Amino acid sequence: MPMLKNIYLVSLLLFLSITINAQKKLNNSDAQKIREQIIKKSTSTNTIASDFVQFKHLSFLDKDIESSGKLFFKEPNLIKWQYEIPFKYSVVFKNDKLFINDDGTKSDIDLSSNKAFKSLNSLIVKSVKGDMFDEEKFDVTYFKDKRDNYLITFTSKEASLKSFIGKFELIFHKNNLDVLQIKMIESSEDYTKIVFKNQKNNEAISDSVFNN
Amino acid sequence: MKQFLIRFLITSCLSVFLFSCSLITTKNLIKQTPTEQFVYNPYFNNQTIDYIYKAKIKLAKNNFGGLLIIKKIKEKQHRVVFTTEFGNKIFDFEFINNDFKVNFILDKLNRKIVINALKKDFQLLVKEQNKVMNQFSNKENVIYQSKLNKKDNYYFHENKQLRKIVMTSKKKEKVSIYFDKITNKIAKKVVIKHHNFKMTLNLEYIN
Repeated sequence: MPMLKNIYLVSLLLFLSITINAQKKLNNSDAQKIREQIIKKSTSTNTIASDFVQFKHLSFLDKDIESSGKLFFKEPNLIKWQYEIPFKYSVVFKNDKLFINDDGTKSDIDLSSNKAFKSLNSLIVKSVKGDMFDEEKFDVTYFKDKRDNYLITFTSKEASLKSFIGKFELIFHKNNLDVLQIKMIESSEDYTKIVFKNQKNNEAISDSVFNN
Repeated sequence: MKQFLIRFLITSCLSVFLFSCSLITTKNLIKQTPTEQFVYNPYFNNQTIDYIYKAKIKLAKNNFGGLLIIKKIKEKQHRVVFTTEFGNKIFDFEFINNDFKVNFILDKLNRKIVINALKKDFQLLVKEQNKVMNQFSNKENVIYQSKLNKKDNYYFHENKQLRKIVMTSKKKEKVSIYFDKITNKIAKKVVIKHHNFKMTLNLEYIN
């Protein structure tokens, strides 16, 4: 009897976990439609300002490493990640360079000679805007998640990128198509997850924000 | 007289030679009979703690930052991972007893000389238990001498608390590790300083 009870419990748990993780794959025409809408929205987005919380997941740790701050984006490719908690650190991508302000210690890195990092950077810019639909670089798959938001996975085809990040997962809001979450999954399955909150699109952002 | 002069010269030359070759670490220390068989580093030995540090590296005039993550995953087994603030892995090492495994390292850093230098630093940092070869003292400290990878390591204790490890060759100091702001067996500030080239690693505990 206890055995039976256990089997029942296990199958119930299995069933629950399947339903919880349920992601419905979109058919081709729905996928095509949502792709077009996201690209349209992305081209009409000139600025983004948003709070973010970042979770770094490493399989051997008890807890994810959590940090948070603010993101600023401005067309064509100005981007600033401003970490505030638990440390002050900000990085601006501008003109093929990384400008870093590490709690007052400033430095910059020229990316023009670093192809892999440059392409990763341009992907990050694209992912923030949601426009990553490069079929030469990625296998793209479209889902609806449990909250009916769109979950789109971009699996890297290029070996150089694969060694950093095997897969990007982006979640788009079901109605306004804002990017709600970016998940960058390494080939080891460890990942970085960035969740956006209080996102504001197309509000004026001064260029001086990107002086780091 | 001549013989005396020669003897004097030899002695003084020898003493200058000996003096210049003597290790600064043990200067003015009084050698004692060891009271302990082993010396311990208690700062990374709790399996239930994720040791997360914000790292600032200064190499000559260049500055780099990132997160240093240390986790004791089993008895005598540590994982040491360095990532950017953004989360990208720079390297991922594993120390198992005296063995060492590279789980991941960025292509650009994947050179034997870099890996060996990093390995030596972090092995010294996380090694928990070390056999005491000699013991010294001065006014403030009890110092235990131990050996690892053919290098001598001196563990400086102040009020029975480990405050500094100095790695040396026979003649020169190579690396010093300082432990500061210690609460509940966590060193909230750690500095790793290289003496033979200009590199300093500053670690601030953020967890």
